[in-house]
This record gives sequence, C-alpha cells and structure tokens, in this order.
Amino acid sequence: METAAEQIPLEHFLFAAGVLFSIGVYGVLSRRNAVLILMSVELMLNAVAVNFVAFAVYTDGALFRGLIFAVFVIIIAAAEVGLALGIILRVFRNRATANVDEVSQLKW
Amino acid sequence: MEQAWLLPAIPAGAFVVLALLNGYLPRRGDFIAIGAIAASFVLFFAVAIDLLDQLPGELEHNTSGFDWLTINGIQLLGQTNDFVLRIGFRVDQLTLVMLAVVTFIGLMVQVYSLGYMKGEVRYGWYYAVLSLFLASMLTLVLADNFLLLYIVWEGVGICSFLLIGHYFERRSAAEAAKKAFVTTRLGDVALLIGIILLWREAGTFDMSEIFHMAEAGEFDQGYLTMATLFLFGGAAGKSAQFPFHVWLPDAMEGPTPVSALIHAATMVVAGVYLVARVMPLFEASYDGALYVVLAIGLITTFISAFMGLVMTDIKRVVAYSTLNSLGLMMVALGFGEAGVGAAMLYLFSHAFFKALLFLACGSVIHATEKQEVTALGGLGRKMPITRATFLVGAMAMAGLVPLSGFFAKDEILVAAEHFSYAPFILILATLPITAMYMVRVYLLTFSGEPKDAHAHEHAHESAPLMSWPLVLLAGLAAVAGLVVFEPIGKAIGLESGFLGFVESVLVEEVHAFEFNWPVAILSSLLVGGGLGAGVMIWGGEAAPATAAAARFPAVHRLLLNKFYVDAFYQWAINNVVLGFAKVIAFFDRAVVNDTGVNGSGEVTNGLGFLLKFQQTGKLPNYALAMVLGVAVLAIVGFSVKG
Repeated sequence: METAAEQIPLEHFLFAAGVLFSIGVYGVLSRRNAVLILMSVELMLNAVAVNFVAFAVYTDGALFRGLIFAVFVIIIAAAEVGLALGIILRVFRNRATANVDEVSQLKW
Repeated sequence: MEQAWLLPAIPAGAFVVLALLNGYLPRRGDFIAIGAIAASFVLFFAVAIDLLDQLPGELEHNTSGFDWLTINGIQLLGQTNDFVLRIGFRVDQLTLVMLAVVTFIGLMVQVYSLGYMKGEVRYGWYYAVLSLFLASMLTLVLADNFLLLYIVWEGVGICSFLLIGHYFERRSAAEAAKKAFVTTRLGDVALLIGIILLWREAGTFDMSEIFHMAEAGEFDQGYLTMATLFLFGGAAGKSAQFPFHVWLPDAMEGPTPVSALIHAATMVVAGVYLVARVMPLFEASYDGALYVVLAIGLITTFISAFMGLVMTDIKRVVAYSTLNSLGLMMVALGFGEAGVGAAMLYLFSHAFFKALLFLACGSVIHATEKQEVTALGGLGRKMPITRATFLVGAMAMAGLVPLSGFFAKDEILVAAEHFSYAPFILILATLPITAMYMVRVYLLTFSGEPKDAHAHEHAHESAPLMSWPLVLLAGLAAVAGLVVFEPIGKAIGLESGFLGFVESVLVEEVHAFEFNWPVAILSSLLVGGGLGAGVMIWGGEAAPATAAAARFPAVHRLLLNKFYVDAFYQWAINNVVLGFAKVIAFFDRAVVNDTGVNGSGEVTNGLGFLLKFQQTGKLPNYALAMVLGVAVLAIVGFSVKG
C-alpha cells in the first residue's frame, strides 16, 4: 500500500513551502502594523516547518529528526510570539500605535 | 678579614631603621646612626690589625663575599660568557687608608651634626641618608669587582643629591642638587661604558683578574686605553675635575657637615681612589692615558686656585680649595705608579684638614647665620676655638711646615720632579695662590672690623659637641703628615713609612722615604711668600685688594664669573640641548601625537559619521536589508559552489 507521501512528489511540498515563505517575506516587508508583521513571520516559520517534515519523510523516515526539529520550531515560535506580543503591547501602551514607522527613535 | 662586610652593613642597617622608624624613636634615632658608624670605626681597627699582620708578604684571604646572581651562557659577539654578579669585598693597603678616612670623618661629622643640625627640618631623614651614604662609600672602597663598584658609585651619588637638596624648599638648593646629580651622571655613564668595555674583553668584572690580564698584556693596548679613559671620565665626574668641576661649588647649598663629609673628605675623592685602584690599567695603556689625567689635574688645580681668590662665600672658597686639592691628587696620579703614594698621602691628610675647614665654616655659619665674607669679620675674639682650628686647617691647606698639607704636597712635588719639570713648575706656581686665598678667607672672617654689627653681636662660640670634633680634627690635620717618616709609620703599625705602605700594593720593591730638602725649602719659600702677600693684601682694610680689583676689572670679572664655564654650559644647554629637544618635541607633536594618535581617532570618527546614516530606526528597512543580505549570500554561495 502506497503512503500519501509516495503518491505526491517531494517537489510539491517544497514548492508549497516556498510559496508560503515568500508570502511571509512579502508580508514582513510590506505591512506596517506590528501584529501583521508578526503573523507574517509565523508564516515563514511554518514554511520552514513544512520543509523539515517533508524532508524527514522522504529521506529519513525511520529517525524522525526532521519531525523533532519541526516540533522545536513550533515551540520556539510560540515563545517568540509571546515575547513579541508583550513588546508590542508595551509600545502600544506608551504610544497608542502599533505602526512600526512611528517607532523609529532607536537610531543615531 | 672575612668580617669586612660588616663595616658597610652596620650603617646600611641603621639607614633602614632610621628611614622607616625615625619618627617613632627618641631623638629621631640619631644615636643609632652614630652608634653604627662608631661600630664601623671600631671594626676598622680589627680589619687593619688583621691586614697589617699579613704584611709584608702576599695577602691571603683578603677577599670575601658571595655570588649574588649567576647567568650562564650569555652570547656576546660570538663568545659565550658566564655572567656572575658578585658581592665581594677586598681589603688591601689602599682600602685601609680609605676605610680610616671614611669611618673617622664619618664619625666626627655625625657627632658635629648633633649640634649643627639640632632642630632643623627632616633631622631623622638627614641621619638616615648620612648612614646610607656611609654604607655606600664603605662598600665602594671595599668592592672587589667593577659592577658592585658601579652600583655603590651611583649610591653615593644619590646620597649626595639628597643631602645637597636637604633644604629643597629653597630653590637654589634644589637647583644645586640637580646640577650635581646631572653633572656627575655624565661621568657615571662614561664609567659604565668603561666597565662594559672591560667586561667585553675580559669576560669578568673581577678587578684583580682584570689587572692580572692587563699586566700580562692580554688586552689590545689601544682598546685598553679607550676603556681606561672612560673609567677616568667617571672618576673626573665624581672628583669634580675640569670640565665637570662646576657642580662642586654649587653643592655648598647642602648642610655644612655634609659638605665636610661628602664634598671634601670622602665622596669627591672616590674618583682619586678609583684612578689609584685601576693604576695597573693605566700602566698597561698607552702613555697618553696618564697624560690626560695629568693635564686634567693641572687645569683643575689652576682654574680653582684663581677662582678661590675672589669668591666671597666662605664655604665656596673652601670648595674651590677642595677643587684645587683634588686637581693636585689627579696630577700626582698622572705620574703613574710613582705618584700613587703621594696622591693617597694627600688624600689622607686632605680629609682631615678639609673636613676641619668645612666644619669650622659651619661653626661660623651656625653662630652668625651669615656666610658672605662681606658680612663677617672680627670673629676671632668671639670664637677662639673656631678661629684657632680654622687657622690650623687653612695653614695645612696652604702647606705650611710642619702641618700635614706640607708633607702631602711636597711628596707630590718630589714625584713631579722625578717625572718632568713642566708639571713641577706649574704646581709650584699654584702654591702661593693657594696660600693667598686661604689667608684671605681667614683674615676676612676672623680679623679686621666686623662688617655686620648685628651678626657680630649675635656670634658666640659653638657648643662642645661641635668644637670637640674641630679640636680633634685640628690635631690630626697638624700631625697626619708625619706618617711619611719611617719611625712614625712603624709606630702606628705600618712596616715602613706611609708612601711605602701604599705603594707596596702596586710594586714589589718600594724605595725608602727620603726627605727632599731642596724641594721642601723651595716650596716653603713660595708658601711663605704667598702667606706674606696675602696678609699684606687683605690685612687691615684690605685696600690693596680693592685697588687691584678696580685696576683690573676684566680679570676680576672673569674670575668672579668662574671663567664663564658655568655660563658656557648654560648657553650650551639653552641652545644646543634645548634646541635639539625642540626638534624632538616637534616630531612628537606633529608625527606621533597629531598623526599617529589623533589621526587614527579622526579616521574612525569620520567613518562612523558616514556610516551612521544607514541606521534609520525603521523596522522595514532593517527587514529588507536582512532579506536582501540573505539573497545575496545565497546567490554567492550557489555560484561559488558551482
């Protein structure tokens, strides 16, 4: 019996992940709202996680190393979101805005 | 003899105790310093008896000491040498004479200082440095190798500096201390070069080894002459020979007992002692080396005798007479081995009468707080002991029969007569001048009318602590010269007269002492003439002196300005030394500071100014830069990998 992985070639997963990553990059570069930028970063992380899982299944099925990495990525993403949202909340409290263009004091 | 190291060690211990604890001790610990030098003085007799027991004959066990530092296999000019730094002591006839002088004068001066320095600032420190000086000086005369000699040579120099500058709040004293230190320093560098040159060839610092090698002709003669002349440079600096003589008169800024000990009896004769000590090297060099010593000695004798005629500060007159004496000793050494006995005899008697003269000056200064002859005069009745002892010292310096100076200078004259007539006549020519200025300073200070009524009113004879050393020294200054006679030499334990005793360190056969009547009569006539002329010129109102000064203003000015040597040095320092320093300072400012140090700072600053504009503070810009950076890295990575 063929698994789903054998029916779908690896390239499909990689392409989907690449599209997802590119959307994330575009979001990070084009959005001005800090929360949206954060969400775009999440997209990029998920693209990476998809890549890990795909490679794990196709090349290294018995050892689960890619799967373990994917789990790490999810955990760290959760932690990062917690931290970043905290920062954004503090900024919003101080400045009544979440627009990153208006938070540009940290320079020379 | 193995205990000879105790002589310097005891004063050195006293220095440590006094320097650290003088504030906590009763009387600031002066008794410790005096006890230390008294102990050294007593030990001197033990050393002397031990040495005299071995004479005549080969000296055995006359060295002691230990290796302090050993470094194996120093590579130098293709040779491999072992370097041994030895703390070694050696006792022989020359050393014994110096030990006698240093310990005895040291003791006298320290006792005298009890009265003179009473209540002065830094009293405890004064005694501490005096002890350090005595420790260094005793090590200097005992040292059996050149490196140890050099170390303590600097030691006595720094003590001299500290003591000249004892009243450093007074600007002139601080300046004089600096001048003395820097001037002798020039000679010290020459000494160090000479020592290194000798070590380079000999591979050892040990004096007797180097002397044996020199006598066996193992050195290239030209090379040895050069090294020996460098050694003489050190001796000339320390003994204030022309052209280094300028520091000694200024050194009179120190307390007077210091002048007596350091700048008359001991440290300034260290140069004479060094030349006598390394006489085997001079003998093995070309004749020119000794001619240099002779010429420098004669120049020093002459210029100082003339300058002594016009100086008005009594201590300075005595200082010029010291230069005069030091010059004479160098002249005697210029005659080679034959003159060493005479030089050491002069050194020995000079120590007594010159220390006496300085201490008597100190007594006058202590009583009147004046030291210009223009403010003194007529003190004879108020200070009879000072007057009598000063007179003994002055006449001994002038060389009056039968005081010690007479025999000392006559032996130099006898040696000169054997050598050549030119120096003989030149020395004879200085005798009346010496006699004249000694009479002058005596008359202007002790006789005539008081020139400063207040100072005269105030004057009184000094306390016994100060007058007893004077009396003791006066007695010795009167009779010390008699040791040249064989019966008297034998009576004090030498196996012959003084000259034979000293010369036996250098030569096997010493000639017996004979009193040279023609020379004695000739020199006595000249001295008598000088004394008579001095009394005529400066007796009473001193009218002839004033008239002479008015008649020859150019000569008077030349002498008062010390032949313009000091002025020339000042000019040379201002123009040559400071000119060169300005060039160096410009290089330092323009190249090192502006370009090197500030330049690198300015470049960093400018680059930072240019680069700071990429910091916009806007998050999307950073994000874009990151993305582009990763993209570029990826492209580069792929293209490099192929």
